[in-house]
Order: sequence, then structure tokens, then C-alpha cells
Amino acid sequence: MKCEWVRENIVLQVYGELADDARHELEQHVARCADCAAELKAEQEFHALLAQDRAADATPNLVAASRMRLQEALETAKQGSFFSRLAFDPANWLRQVKFSPALASAILIFGFAGGIVTTYKFIPHSTTGIVQGPATVPVQTSIAGIDSISQDPNTNQISIKYKAVSEEQKQGSLNDQDIQQLLLYAAHNNYNSGVRVDSVDLLAKRSGDLQVREALMYALQNDTNPGVRLKSLDALGNYVKDDTNVRDAVLRALVNDDNSGVRIEALRLIEPVKADGSVRGVLMALAAKDQSTYIKSQARTMLAQLPEID
Amino acid sequence: MRGRMAGQERRIDDTMLIREAQRGNRAAFEELVRHYDQAVLRLALHLTGTEQDAQDVYQDAFLKAYKNIGNFRFECSFYTWIYRIVTNLCLDHLRKRNVRKEDAPVAKDPSGGEYDLLDQVPDVRAGANPERDLMRRQLGARISGALEKLTPRERMVFELKHYHGLKLRTVGEILQTTEETAKNTLFRATQKLRGALADMR
Ligand SMILES: [Zn+2]
Repeated sequence: MKCEWVRENIVLQVYGELADDARHELEQHVARCADCAAELKAEQEFHALLAQDRAADATPNLVAASRMRLQEALETAKQGSFFSRLAFDPANWLRQVKFSPALASAILIFGFAGGIVTTYKFIPHSTTGIVQGPATVPVQTSIAGIDSISQDPNTNQISIKYKAVSEEQKQGSLNDQDIQQLLLYAAHNNYNSGVRVDSVDLLAKRSGDLQVREALMYALQNDTNPGVRLKSLDALGNYVKDDTNVRDAVLRALVNDDNSGVRIEALRLIEPVKADGSVRGVLMALAAKDQSTYIKSQARTMLAQLPEID
Repeated sequence: MRGRMAGQERRIDDTMLIREAQRGNRAAFEELVRHYDQAVLRLALHLTGTEQDAQDVYQDAFLKAYKNIGNFRFECSFYTWIYRIVTNLCLDHLRKRNVRKEDAPVAKDPSGGEYDLLDQVPDVRAGANPERDLMRRQLGARISGALEKLTPRERMVFELKHYHGLKLRTVGEILQTTEETAKNTLFRATQKLRGALADMR
């Protein structure tokens, strides 16, 4: 029984794929069982034999030729899904509803006051393409999802395309309340993490706003995409000193995030407030027993730089 | 440590490129291609055995990626996503080749059983030591012959693990199966290979 288990796991041992405890078990057994020891040796020898044959790298010529051929084909290739994304896709819409219960009850956006109306472009979509309509703005709109966010580098105008009953597009500056509302909505709810990255990116520029910071903290704690979390973290960085909610959120990320890049960034950000009681407590816990040796040693270094407390 | 941060940067970097590519920015997509294409080409080259076939897999894979990048939802890493496309194309290639092989008459060598594989081996760059080159070529030929006998899936798992050093967990993700299944497949593959190459030790 034991020998059978060992035979099945020898290959994993040779490829360094055994968990530490299983490896220990296997090594213990092999030290006592001559048959299994012989089998391990045979597998290792076989591995060494195979290792003499390596997969050759592609030659620079092949790489260059392949790239050129691809470039040529890309000239004429259509990004099917990119263009089809502009059209209304019922399946996709249902998917969004499924992933975001808030959508089912529709989000209301207010504040389309008369004075600013002219700065908006309202572009309804149909399955036939984009029709640029007159600047008609609904007083309130139900939003069913946000498709894309982009900023024109020349004018700093932000375009947000979102789904209502039909698809609409809104343009305005970052100071625009409606734009802010849409960005906050996108950071919270959008199914496409690329769109969430974009909204967090833009929101970061307004992190002085309390509501924006709340959205960023929400993203830091809840977003499934580490890239989005990292962006939120960086946007919050300047507020660890003055906003204790932000400090707590960064500490939570430092302790709980499952992405080591996010954790390391969080650790870097709390450095200026390491003398703070709550921060010190977290650092001590990390220094004592964190699974990441880097974080453990960094926490120790940071603590060592602090003046002793009585 | 430094390497880890660099890896993190690369992912963020890629995220931006993916977003740009999703907006239809072809230059961003081409940059993304350059982050992955040498590894892809190496895999395809070893699996298909000829530069021509490897180039076809390369072309098909990245065109497919370009056309479908709008559907990429960041639910897995881009690395896994692109490898999924590539391995699927390679598996198709292997399956087609297996069908062709069954139709073709099997060549036997005098010692009884193996293909005469020397002719099928891709050119190995000539080195300083012709004798050692020949030895290596013969070994390579025997190993290729043994690899040919694996099922396409066994071959793929072995290829990704042995020649490309991927973690079995990643292999499982790429092939959309469990790590456990990948382990079992690797076990079967190595057993078969040891059997086929038993006389070489
Ligand atoms: Zn035993």
C-alpha cells in the first residue's frame, strides 16, 4: 500500500511537485525500502537521460519571420468582439445583471441640471452602430452596466459608455458630477475588470473627495482583480496619515490580501505611520509569523527603526 | 525579491496593454505578443517538430487572441489565457497528425519496431563536436519517437512540465482540468516513456 503510493509520487518528487510533508514521507520510506529506493534512482536516471535533450529556442530568424507574418495579418484582421461589444448584447447584459444584483433594481443617476446640459453628448446605440444624436439628456437614467471609459489626452474629456435601456455615452470633465457618479458606479459594479481599472485610475485623481476614497477602499477590499486593488491602494497612499479609515483599509489589505504584490505595496505605504499604535501592532504580528519571509523581514526592519516604547 | 516586484510590474503593465488592445490599439497588442511569443514559439516548435508548423500555430494563436481579446475578462491571467489558445491549437495539430499517422504505412527498422526517426528530426544546429552532435541527434530522435506514442493530452502535460518547467497547477489551469488530473497524466506519460526508452539506460 505504502510502496504503491510512493511509486505514484516518485515522478512528482523528481519534478519538485511534492508538498513538503509528502516529500518528507517519501524520503523516510525510501530510506527504509530498498525496492522503492531503486525505483527512485531509476526515475532520477531516466530524468537525467531526458535532460540531455532540450527543447531548442526558436531562432531569431524564426521569431522575426513569425512576427512579420502576424503583423501583416493584423493589418486586415477585424477584432470581432471589439466591434460587437459596441452593439447591444442581451446575453452579456443578463450576465451583468447576474453578477451585480444592484443592476436588477436599476441605479438612478440624478443631477442633470439644465445649465450643464450642453456639455454632454448623448449617443444612443442600436445594433446597427453608433448614431450621434442631439444633446438630449434624460433627467434621470437607469444604468445597466458600464462598457468603457476613456480619456482624450488632448482635451482631458472623459467618455463613459454605459448601458441603460439603450446604450448611452457621456462626456465631461472629471469635475463633472455625473461623470464622477458614473466612475464610482463603474468602480463598484462593472463586470469587466479592465473598466474597473480605468475608473479607479481616474478616480485616483480625485482622492481628496471622501466619497471617492470610500469607493477606492471598497475596491481595495472587494475587487477580485489584483491590478484594480493595487491601483486603489496607490490612490489611497497619500491619506494613510490623515484618514484613519484609509489607514485601517491599507492595514487590512496588508494582513488579508492574497496577492503578495498588493501586500508589499501596502507595507510600503504604511511606512510613514509605522509609529502609530495600530500599525505597530500589525507589524509586530507580521514580524512574528508571516508566511512571506520578505514581509516578515521588512516588518522586523521597520520595527527596529522605531524608538523603544516603555 | 526584486524579481517578484518585476513580475508584479509586468502584470500591471500587461493589464494596461490588454486594455489598450481591447480598445483596438494594434501596437499595444503587438507589444503584448512580444511578451509571450518566444515561449509560444518554443513550445510549438518542440511539439510540432517543424518550423513551418510552429509558425502556423503561432500565427493562428495570436490572430485568435487578437480577435477574441475583447472577451478576455481578467478571470485568469493573460498568460494562462494565451497558453490555453496555444495548447488547444497544438492539441488539434497532434490529433490530426495521429490520424494521418494511422493511415500511413509504418516504417520499421531492422532491430525490430521503431520508426526510422533520424529523417524526421528537425535540424539541430551544427556544433563544434560532430560526434557528440550525432549522439545527441540519435538520443533526440529516440525521445521524439517515444513522445509520439503518447496521447495528445499526455504529450501536452509532459511537454509543459518537462520541457517548459511549468507548475502542474498552472498546467491544470491551462488545460482546464484539475492539478490532480495533471499529476495522473504526468505519471502515465513518464511510465510510457520509460517503457519506450528502457533500452537506453
Ligand atoms: Zn517501498
